[in-house]
This record gives sequence, structure tokens and C-alpha cells, in this order.
Amino acid sequence: MAKSEKSCQEELSALKKEYEDFVYIVSHDIKTPMRAISNIATWIEDDLGPNADVDILNNFALLKSRVGRLENMLNALLELSRVNRTEMEMYEVNIPKLVEECMATLDNKLNVKFHINYNLSNENCITLGKKLNKVIFNLLDNAVRFHDKQIKNVFIDVSENEMEYEIKISDDGPGIAAELEDKIFSIFYTVNSKDVLDSTGAGLTISRKIIEMVGGAIQYTPAVNNGSIFQINWPKIISLKN
Amino acid sequence: MIQKLVNILLVEDDEVDVMNVKRAFTKNNIKNELFVAGNGVEALGMLRTSIVPLPRIIILDINMPKMNGIEFLKVLREDENLKNISVFVMTTSNEDSDKINAYNLNVAGYILKPLSFEKFITSVATLKNFWSLCEM
Repeated sequence: MAKSEKSCQEELSALKKEYEDFVYIVSHDIKTPMRAISNIATWIEDDLGPNADVDILNNFALLKSRVGRLENMLNALLELSRVNRTEMEMYEVNIPKLVEECMATLDNKLNVKFHINYNLSNENCITLGKKLNKVIFNLLDNAVRFHDKQIKNVFIDVSENEMEYEIKISDDGPGIAAELEDKIFSIFYTVNSKDVLDSTGAGLTISRKIIEMVGGAIQYTPAVNNGSIFQINWPKIISLKN
Repeated sequence: MIQKLVNILLVEDDEVDVMNVKRAFTKNNIKNELFVAGNGVEALGMLRTSIVPLPRIIILDINMPKMNGIEFLKVLREDENLKNISVFVMTTSNEDSDKINAYNLNVAGYILKPLSFEKFITSVATLKNFWSLCEM
């Protein structure tokens, strides 16, 4: 006998919860031995003193940088597993203000030129503010971080229709080949080797999970002039599943 | 007035983390006596039998076997003789629920164990600044 739709749904919810708990516990418990590796490496380095062989010191630096990467990956896994459990407050946000806050918290804004355009009848909306902030921040951070030009142009366009906000974040950086579109949303995927540009490769994965949770969509298209265009459709009314 | 150094009770089950605290003490030139308990039950025993003499403060891990940090704090705050001790939570847990539980049990500070030992030295130096005030 075929299972009822209801029992399938229940099973799916239980599995999802089990998966998220698993990811959380595993990433949390791995942190203690990981920290031990990093700490012990520092102690040995310290005990060797300033006259240690340069090769040895270089290897210690490599070891610590890789453990640092591991920590970033674990933190990203933790964040991904908690997307629908933390920071779920609905409150009123002013969209231009939220965008401004995201720009202000970017690490490196040197030589970045922002071009912002709003086409909104009402700038305020009640939404999952922290989540929208996270998504916009991640996309702006990517646009700036991976930019390869002296002057970095980043474009932010926000408009609306009856049902949703359309947020477009684009840049005139190196762009991503169209055939990589599916891959860039996979966790830990980075277009360049992590040795070229140290990044975890989790921002787009987390952003997409947030956007799917709220019932929106995200799409990448290469820009004509080699840059990237990310378009987000963020629903005005959010109904959360489960 | 004679200055009296506070005694530190570290409640921590991980051997490397204990060594980490000891090293950070040396690096910061901290002379306070350090006592170590492997879990909450052991810590309560050491406090109640005065193995750790007054004045004293506690550095507490959350995830531990037998009696975890939050359970330990609950018992501590209900004990007439021990309820006023300053406690610093030092943990890997960045969970809001753990932070809220800890602050509800009146902790003096909540320190996230950082990945790097260098950052940890700084955290311990900050802690020392606090308990130095208690020593005056």
C-alpha cells in the first residue's frame, strides 16, 4: 500500500531534522580536537624558539593555515545546518538602510564604487531582516572579494512587483563561466584554488538555502562585459514550511 | 594591606585545554595558583572541602561528562556557601541557549575558546585584569 502523503511529509521532516542535528553535532564535536591541533602546533613552534629552521617554521605556518580553513568549513556547516533555526525574527526593515548596513560591514571597500538604484513604492517591509541582510551581504562580499580590477564597480538594483522584491547585485569583475552556474551553489566549491584566494566557498550555498526557505529564488547570469549578475526574488509575504 | 592572590579553579575535561590555560598563564606571567577539576562533581567536591582556598574564582567549560557546566552552575548558585563565587564560562559553544542559560545563572563573563593560541593568551590577559580588581 502506498504511504499517505501525510506520513511521507512527516518522514521527510524527521529526516531533515535528523540530518541537521547530525551536521550540527559532528561539526561541533570536531572543533575540540581541531583546536588542539592548532594549539599544539603553536606550542611546538614556540618551544623551538626563534632560531628554528625556516622550512620548519614555514610548515608550521601552513599547518595552522589549513586548520584555519578547517575551522571556517566547520563554522559554515554549522551555519548551514542552523539556517532555519536561528535569527528567525520577522520585523520591519527599511530596504535602503539594510543595504547600507551590508555595505558598511564589508571588510575591504578600498577602490569599490557602489552604484545603487531603488525603484520602490514603499521602502519598508516586514520580513526576516537578519536573513535578508545575510544574503545581500554575502553577494556584495563576493562581488568585492573576487573582483580583479583596480576600480571595482558594484551595482545594486532593487525593484518590486506585486508579489516580490527583485534584488539584482552585479559587478564588472572577472565573472563566472555560464557552465559553472550549478557548481557555484555547492558547498565548499570555489572557482579558483583556495591557495590563490582563500575563501571557504559557503556564502552562496547558505544564501540559496535562506532564499529557498523563504520561497524565493536566486539566479546567476554572466554579464556581457565579463562581470557577474545575481538576481534574487524575495517574496513580500513569507510563509515558512514546517 | 597585604594583597591576596585569588585562587583559580579550572573546571575542564580536555587535557589539551588544561595545558592551554597553564601555558597562557605562563605567557601572561600569571602567578595565581591554578586548581583543575575534570567535571562539575569533582569541582563541587574541591570547593566544599576547601581544597581550593578563598578567595577564588572559577573558569568553567560547558561540555563535560558527568555534570556539565550549566548543571554545575545551578548547584553552585543554590549553595549558600558557594553562590557568590565569580564564574567565567570558557567554551566552544556559540549556542544562544548556552549563553542565555549561563547568564541566567549569573556568570561574570562568557569566553569563546578561539582557534589560535595567540588569541587565547589575550583572552586570559583580559580575565586576569578582572580578577586583579578583586585582589585589591
